[in-house]
Amino acid sequence: MSALIRENDELQMNAYCDGELDPASAIAFERRLADDASLKSRYNRLLSLRRAVRSLPQYELPPGLQARINSALDADRSTQVGLPDEPARVIQARRLRQRSWSLQALAAAAVLGAVIASAVMLTIERYDLHENVAREVVAGHIRGLMAPQPFDIASSDRHTVKPWFTSRLPESPQVPDLAAQGFVLVGGRVDVIGHDPVATIVYKHAAHTVSLTTLPSGQPVSDQAIAGYNVLSWSDGEFTYIAVSDLPSADLAAFQRAFAAASPAPEVK
Amino acid sequence: MTTPSSAGRSNFRRAELDPAVLRERPEGSDRFSGQQQASVPIVQNKDERSVFDEVFLPHMAEAYRLAQWLTGNASDAEDVVQDAALRAFRGIKRFGAVNARAWSLTIVRNTAYSWLMKNRPKAVVFTDDLSAAEQQELEHGGLQATRIETPEEIALFKADAEDVQRAMAQLPAQLREVIVLREINQLNYRDIAEITNIPIGTVMSRLSRARQLLIALLGDRK
Repeated sequence: MSALIRENDELQMNAYCDGELDPASAIAFERRLADDASLKSRYNRLLSLRRAVRSLPQYELPPGLQARINSALDADRSTQVGLPDEPARVIQARRLRQRSWSLQALAAAAVLGAVIASAVMLTIERYDLHENVAREVVAGHIRGLMAPQPFDIASSDRHTVKPWFTSRLPESPQVPDLAAQGFVLVGGRVDVIGHDPVATIVYKHAAHTVSLTTLPSGQPVSDQAIAGYNVLSWSDGEFTYIAVSDLPSADLAAFQRAFAAASPAPEVK
Repeated sequence: MTTPSSAGRSNFRRAELDPAVLRERPEGSDRFSGQQQASVPIVQNKDERSVFDEVFLPHMAEAYRLAQWLTGNASDAEDVVQDAALRAFRGIKRFGAVNARAWSLTIVRNTAYSWLMKNRPKAVVFTDDLSAAEQQELEHGGLQATRIETPEEIALFKADAEDVQRAMAQLPAQLREVIVLREINQLNYRDIAEITNIPIGTVMSRLSRARQLLIALLGDRK
């Protein structure tokens, strides 16, 4: 076997072991694993290495450390001077900095000007961007409907869907089941909006599919109809939600109310 | 100091040069447009201390664990965590509200390395100090001749905790950190890439390499 193939095998085996292969590759790898005794024994060895490393005794946080950190922070805040053991030159540098406050103010003013200017530019760009976002969200919905199933993870259990998102995305939304309100949780998928993967929760209402795409808050799109699908958007502290469905907009609004009621803004992780 | 010749690989050096290490937000923390706006209300509406308590504190035990693995002993780890907590607190405004855990551990990891550079300069070799060939070897096992072969004859080992601990300590720092982040902190590849500031592909090859080395160190050849 060439070194390169061997190397690729190793990487794939590691990725499989770490649960980082996509489903298709994982299944392909499992087939190979079943057929290839040598691969199987190397894989088992990897698993026993994992067991050995994970069963190492865990280092526990020393009992006094938290308190020491708390008091160090208090000291840091009240005096605005660092730890007592901070090198003298740092403190000196800080004094120098304090003396040149007017220069700082000047610099700050310049920076502020730049920030405002770029914010205005961004706002202008953002307007266009948002309409694109709506189109992309709808495209994700349509693609979901064309696929054998509109979700990557099928589950009516929110305790399955939420961790699935958490393991894939930096931020993941609350996943309430709204069956009582007529919207049954069927699963979740990851859509790509712009270049960013985002969580989309999929609900069914009778024969209709509702895709609820979650973006970081602050990018609401206007409510509209695109390609025959109704788009409804709202925000809470954490996310901007964009619901897409072929439901009439009144039903979509009912969905929004149900979701908002069941999903209080989550705390910062 | 040498100029880092391998931008994007490893920036311990840069972190050391810039005391406000947090100014460089971890890669990916700004991956969403609109992120800037998202972070502002969280910080402005709350006292910095309570933001810190929500962002950094929950990860303190993990931070300590990571620090202990990276520094190799308990008292160094305490210093590092305390130092990292201060840095996090001072930089809490720059927290992007994306992934508090990765953000916190990034600070701990960078603090650990700059702390080591300052206090144990002999104990660490940084990627930037290695030649291109040595780097290649670190990540890919280099040429055939220097590959670590882990043939099947290396059996499932019956290593006790002490052996494993010793083998982990023998790993080069760059390999040890990925295996610790993966197995001890149980992070996914993306978070590891963000924390160590290396591409995911490099995370994968380093992990694979670290495991091969550990197997070679722990295995008993029949």
